[in-house]
Amino acid sequence: MNYDKVLARLCALPGPSGFEGPVAEAAEELLRPLVDQVSVDRMGSVVGVRRCGRDNAKKLLLDAHLDEIGFVITGHEEGFLRFAPLGGVDPRMLPDRELTLLTDPPRMGVVACLPPHIQTREDMDKSQSIKELYIDVGLSQEEAERLIPVGTPAVYRTGCAPLGEELLCGKALDDRACFAVLLDALERLSGEELDVDLYILGSTQEETHSTGAITAAYGIVPDLCAAVDVTHGDSPDASKDKTFPLGKGPVIGVGPNCTRWLSTRLEHKAKELDLPCQVEVMAGHSGTNGWPLQVSREGVATAVLSLPLRYMHTPIETVHRRDLEDTAALLAAFVRGIGKEAEDRA
Amino acid sequence: MLDLLNQLCALDGVSGDEDRVRAFIRKKARPWAHSIRTDALGNLIVFKRGGKPAENKVMLCAHMDEVGVIVTKITDEGVLKFDFVGGVDRRVAMGKSVVLGDNRVPGIIGLKAIHLVSREEEKQVPKTDSLYIDIGAGNREAAQALVQPGTYGAFAGAPEALGSNLLKAKAIDDRVGCAVMLELLKEDLPLDVTFAFTAQEEVGTRGAFGAAFSVTPEIALVLETTTAADLPGVEGHRRVCAPGKGPVISYMDGAAIYDRSLFETLRDLAEEYQIPWQTKEYISGGNDARTIQRTRAGVRVAALSAAVRYLHAPASVGSTTDFQDMLRLTRLFLERVAEGL
Repeated sequence: MNYDKVLARLCALPGPSGFEGPVAEAAEELLRPLVDQVSVDRMGSVVGVRRCGRDNAKKLLLDAHLDEIGFVITGHEEGFLRFAPLGGVDPRMLPDRELTLLTDPPRMGVVACLPPHIQTREDMDKSQSIKELYIDVGLSQEEAERLIPVGTPAVYRTGCAPLGEELLCGKALDDRACFAVLLDALERLSGEELDVDLYILGSTQEETHSTGAITAAYGIVPDLCAAVDVTHGDSPDASKDKTFPLGKGPVIGVGPNCTRWLSTRLEHKAKELDLPCQVEVMAGHSGTNGWPLQVSREGVATAVLSLPLRYMHTPIETVHRRDLEDTAALLAAFVRGIGKEAEDRA
Repeated sequence: MLDLLNQLCALDGVSGDEDRVRAFIRKKARPWAHSIRTDALGNLIVFKRGGKPAENKVMLCAHMDEVGVIVTKITDEGVLKFDFVGGVDRRVAMGKSVVLGDNRVPGIIGLKAIHLVSREEEKQVPKTDSLYIDIGAGNREAAQALVQPGTYGAFAGAPEALGSNLLKAKAIDDRVGCAVMLELLKEDLPLDVTFAFTAQEEVGTRGAFGAAFSVTPEIALVLETTTAADLPGVEGHRRVCAPGKGPVISYMDGAAIYDRSLFETLRDLAEEYQIPWQTKEYISGGNDARTIQRTRAGVRVAALSAAVRYLHAPASVGSTTDFQDMLRLTRLFLERVAEGL
């Protein structure tokens, strides 16, 4: 898997929650050669299936979401745009930030910021909330209302590029990095006989309400699932207790959202393959699609596998190439023979 | 001129590290210059003969440098500590990309994820001391192979058109002044003119000290940018000025009272030729004019500035029609001065 190439393509596409179209199209194209069948469901999620050919085979669903955090235009004032977040945006990153407004063709905007001379020192030490901010699109009120109507979505303007020797940095790596990991896992499994029907889900609207995963799971009816998403990577200003170092391997979730034998299976597979891995204890909601997937229909055995990602929900999300490889290797091992273990436990 | 401005804004030249900008300007100016030299402070002084001999009577001045960062320390983890060079509001720096040194090393100004920030912490903007640049180096040695303490960094970002007749770019302050001067250099001038492309304006108009001393003009016109705050929710005079309403003609700012008759000359020329113009409605800021004015026995100074939103930030916004009008008005000003000879 050429992560640099695939992620440069996927991350550059705009796909805020509810507007994933272009990303889903690319995801479908990337998925097609690796599965028997691929489709896009009513909520815009991409579903690929690789069947094992056995009767009554268990269904394993691997999920990574395609949407990214973004913005939506809520009003116009003197030609400037008012906006609201789509997902958990960090407002501290917004002043003087370039955005892409998803009009046709797309337009550039800059989040306006007040110059220091008309502010007090106290003002300048205070973070501004999104309610106080505007986007400058260089248009008059009339032009702005006509060209960029209320409801227009917007995203950060970065793509994804190498940072140093080992890292990749950009927007939307949460969670397209993990979608690329799913593709890599499929590549690693190609030509091998499986004992489950394997469903790959590129889900929509995770950042808002997990809508894509909820509705897709209803249709797929999986027996087992793994939500593959990002967790907080370390950074110099963050507590080491709450973050996971980049380059030290995938992070296996443990807690009520994670079916115990699946967590254990992941840990065992990592040990067998001598892959580095880390454990994240999650006392309740995992903050991933694993949470709703677990209670789909009559319930689904759920694993949460995470990729450490630094600067989550920013235009500079950062991941380690080796973690991508290791997560894919671990997932492939997790899939091999999982049908038998599931049947043994039934 | 806009093409030239785009090229100039794409160059990195933080105060004290103006070499790339100076080399570019020198190359562009050479075919038109009568004499050209770089002085001890890094200013580029270009002299061009015109229709009337005037020697050092008139100096046009624009600064080459831009605000940015400088690496102060490399930590054991391979993270760079830095200071801002020039006045940067740290709120516009967080999460932004920078390009470091001659090796053009990409870096980002990191900030831990909002989920990891306490409710109390969230209300305050992190202090500059706590900020850092991440270049993806795993440790001190890996970082040191790419950058050293003292390596300069400029904000990243390519110039681009925005909305109706606006330009988004870094370093519009003051590459627009440089572009106007380079454009005039190509033209037949009505009198001899000295063009001073100065260094280190952003850290205290340092270059202008030497440039004004060596040139010692009678009249200096500073071509600059000035901060605009024409945003919703900002009332009346606090908006200062607005892109698209013409060049700003200064009568006073936070650092100088401009020569009244030069102010009136510029104003009357704008009126006569129907060039839109504005003044700053708020006394703030300062530029090379303050230093030039107090050189030797004194110099009569004037300033013509483009109103620019988000000045000193990676995505500054100015009006391309204002830039063109600055060029027109400067040209008319030189003619008027020549007529008076």
